[in-house]
Amino acid sequence: MFDTEREIKDTKIHLCLDCGKCTVVCPVAQYEPEFTPRLIAQRRLRRDSSRPHDDTIWSCLNCYMCVERCNYHVKFPEFIQILRAEAFSEGVQPQCSHGGALQSLMHLMSLEELKQDRMGWLPQDIELSEPCDTIFFIGCAPYFDIIFGDLGVNTLAGIKGALRLLNRAQIPFTVLDNERCCGRDLLLQGDREGFLALARANMEEFARHGIKKIITNCPEGHYTLKVEYPAILGNAGIEVMHLTEVIAPLLQSGEMSLGRIEKTATYHDPCTLGRCSRIFDQPRQILGGLTGLEFVEMEESREKSLCCGASPWVNCGAVNREIQKQRLAQAEATGAEILVTTCPKCQIHLKCAQKRSDGKAPQIEIQDLAELAARALD
Amino acid sequence: MSKQAPNIVIFACNWDGLSCVEAASQAGYCYPASVKVVRVSCLSRIHQGLILKAFELGADGVILLGCEPGNCHFDIDAGLVTHEYENTRSILNLLGLGEERLVIAHLAHGDGYGFMKQVTGFITEVEQMQPAIPVKA
Ligand code: SF4
Ligand code: SF4
Repeated sequence: MFDTEREIKDTKIHLCLDCGKCTVVCPVAQYEPEFTPRLIAQRRLRRDSSRPHDDTIWSCLNCYMCVERCNYHVKFPEFIQILRAEAFSEGVQPQCSHGGALQSLMHLMSLEELKQDRMGWLPQDIELSEPCDTIFFIGCAPYFDIIFGDLGVNTLAGIKGALRLLNRAQIPFTVLDNERCCGRDLLLQGDREGFLALARANMEEFARHGIKKIITNCPEGHYTLKVEYPAILGNAGIEVMHLTEVIAPLLQSGEMSLGRIEKTATYHDPCTLGRCSRIFDQPRQILGGLTGLEFVEMEESREKSLCCGASPWVNCGAVNREIQKQRLAQAEATGAEILVTTCPKCQIHLKCAQKRSDGKAPQIEIQDLAELAARALD
Repeated sequence: MSKQAPNIVIFACNWDGLSCVEAASQAGYCYPASVKVVRVSCLSRIHQGLILKAFELGADGVILLGCEPGNCHFDIDAGLVTHEYENTRSILNLLGLGEERLVIAHLAHGDGYGFMKQVTGFITEVEQMQPAIPVKA
């Protein structure tokens, strides 16, 4: 299923000219001089035996900024994923953040006979269509809100908002009460077996329910279900859309409208939704549909958007914190009252920086786009 | 053949918690070999990650065993562990495994009998839980 040399070739790493442009734009390299994408590539391709395990590979954020800059579009983050999978299979493990709670949770969620009880939060007023071959993929929000509750994280508010928007748009959908984590974070940290277990469990569940279309609010889940699952498990013919791709066209065509919100807001492009999935306009169109909302762009936005400093729950440290503070400062500099994003992980990481930086990080309010837009439905 | 006893992991604090385990051994009490005691310096060192790891590795139930309130060797008492305990119970509920699979017990120094009662009672409860945690393929 995985052919390392073929995969390495597919990343186009052999085209690397050693120009160093990636290092200039890489947010990690800014704060961690040891981290140089092109040298990591050289060490692996030359199989430098003086350094059996290159421990700098765990610092990459998978933010795709380097791919955007590289003249040859060398897919360096994908190259890093291959190196991590190699290291993982040799028994090298990254340092897990949060005491490994998320890794264990993901592994537990892949247990075949698991019957989760994860829908207790579903508001009464949400209309589900049964039976329906379209589902809304919730993602890990119910779990995140417990694990990161002390950071003031409320990712379920975004999910509830998304469901209300779909109801208002009169798009029929249902939810699966035993969906699993998409597994992206295991894939990114090199645990391919763990990822496959989750991917297979989800795909079996989709097949059992005859699912033809999936809408999700989580950029990570969106990319994983849309791109990684078909690439690894074969194309099952399921259409996957991000919520903003469903709602924005309806606002543009006038088939749906949103109410008033008298606030100034800026938008943080999650790397996976933006640079990976190329969804830059739709979230802005939704913000544009809110009457009274003043929208201001950050200095680095769209293709140049700075990462939130997230990691696949490994190796989170001082470098990540500096990146998070830098992003929050960029948001504050716009004068916006709200920093809007569409990714639960961006929300978690930025709120963590706000809460755990001794008051040194800008305290701008952070909200999910769907949560904000749904507030303007009444 | 009798049914296999459930896998129980006990995180016992080095002080009153462990003294109960030792007192139980000295008194000659027997409990199944599937009960594994892990010594930690204080229950405050326990976090969601460690508890979930125990379940990931096949535990059917976990007991956090520590000192009675006011007796904590480090004067931390239950403050830190309570948060982790409650969070983990909520996660176990979401997973459909059930919060009852994680309990916390505060025993007096050297209470071997109390420890035995706790362990055997918990084993009976875990045995009755349906469905049991599926064994990893
Ligand atoms: S920008 Fe591209 S070509 Fe230049 S060093 Fe980085 S990967 Fe190589
Ligand atoms: S993906 Fe981001 S963090 Fe990783 S090397 Fe590229 S720019 Fe740096």
